[in-house]
Amino acid sequence: MTIGIIDYGISNVSSVVAAVARAGGVPVVSADAADLAAADHLILPGVGAFGDGMKNLVERGLKEPLDRMVRDEGKPILGICLGAQLMCGDSEESPGGAGFGWMPASVRRLRPDDPALRVPHVGWDEFELVKESPLLDGIPGDALFYYVHSYAIHSGDPDIEIAVCTYGESFAAVLRKDNMFATQFHPEKSQLHGLKVIENFIGLC
Amino acid sequence: MLRKRLITVLTFNDGVLFRTKLFTPDYRYTLNFVDAWSVDEIVVLDVTRNPTDGRESFRRVIENFASRCFVPVAAGGGIRDLDDVRAYLDLGADKVVINSGAIERPDFVAEVAGRFGSQCAVLSIDAKKTGDESYEVYSHFGARPTGMRPRDWARQAEDLGAGEILITSIDRDGSLQGYDLPLCSDVSAAVRIPVLVCGGAGNWNHFVEGFAEGGASGVCATNIYHFTESSIQSAKRHLAGNGIPVRM
Repeated sequence: MTIGIIDYGISNVSSVVAAVARAGGVPVVSADAADLAAADHLILPGVGAFGDGMKNLVERGLKEPLDRMVRDEGKPILGICLGAQLMCGDSEESPGGAGFGWMPASVRRLRPDDPALRVPHVGWDEFELVKESPLLDGIPGDALFYYVHSYAIHSGDPDIEIAVCTYGESFAAVLRKDNMFATQFHPEKSQLHGLKVIENFIGLC
Repeated sequence: MLRKRLITVLTFNDGVLFRTKLFTPDYRYTLNFVDAWSVDEIVVLDVTRNPTDGRESFRRVIENFASRCFVPVAAGGGIRDLDDVRAYLDLGADKVVINSGAIERPDFVAEVAGRFGSQCAVLSIDAKKTGDESYEVYSHFGARPTGMRPRDWARQAEDLGAGEILITSIDRDGSLQGYDLPLCSDVSAAVRIPVLVCGGAGNWNHFVEGFAEGGASGVCATNIYHFTESSIQSAKRHLAGNGIPVRM
């Protein structure tokens, strides 16, 4: 199973490559639409700023091809952290700038009232399962995943919410809409449980 | 609930793992522990004094950890410009640790955060006690006084976009006498970003103090472990037994 890892110059992709290989997939890193179209599944990784991320995707001529592959052709895709946020409509981090808009959700800055809750939200945290998803098969309820983010996804449609995390307020930890999956946490940085999530994503038909 | 982090800091000289303070090579430590599933996060620092030496072997160190451990890796040492940052990230680092480069040019913090995001920019502060309740920031491996107070520098770095502060007590580093808790709590009270405390941990209870009294989000240890699965788990059991939420 080839996994096209979208390289849009916003972050290192080597951990995602290593995790995909460890989980049994064949990683193909590329910024080329034809390579990505030839892959069975796609991963949109990323850390960094929403505006820069979308700008880089547009500049590399990837926005329309990805729209076509994901929305029209139904190729399975997993967005991670910033990659997950870019699947949403818009972000407070980049007013006026649009994301892919695949997920009916928006991105807002974390503003916990409790001064003990620092931002960014960095470290290992759990989530609360809202509904079953093949992405989370075999993941125990108390599993911890690694998060590092200052902005978070708020779903506008309860149907797409798979799991939520609470840090002062609730936000979406895992989303799914049809062939599109998104995690706010970094499965590639979350050891055994993270590798299981990636293995589940690779195994989706 | 967000867990408190237990972070392993490894310093390398010419690509060889070194203990801090004494700077004597210790070959008991190997890379094998990276597969230990209880490590929360790893910081690797290049302390090679002559920047032309050992760069290649340190690059391999970063690659090794990043491709094998599946936890976040922060890399630092000699970072002065965005190309240095890019180079570490390309090797697989998730974050970079900036120290002297930010002191020389504070706007560098803003450049890193602007280009790679705040979560990528960890500001490392080395501080020495200068009086009863006063501290001063030192640069260049503790060699040069800067005249800045750690809490002021931390707050400035937060304003510039740093995502985390790593505060190290030069006096306590390698002493095994425990963290400088007043220093840590002073810095952590000054900012809203996570603070990681380093320098001085000698027993599991020092970790508890780092969280409970220092207000840290993460505690770092360099030479306390023998880097086996059981020592990290044993530290975490001690923390959990003292009411600190950790990932087992």
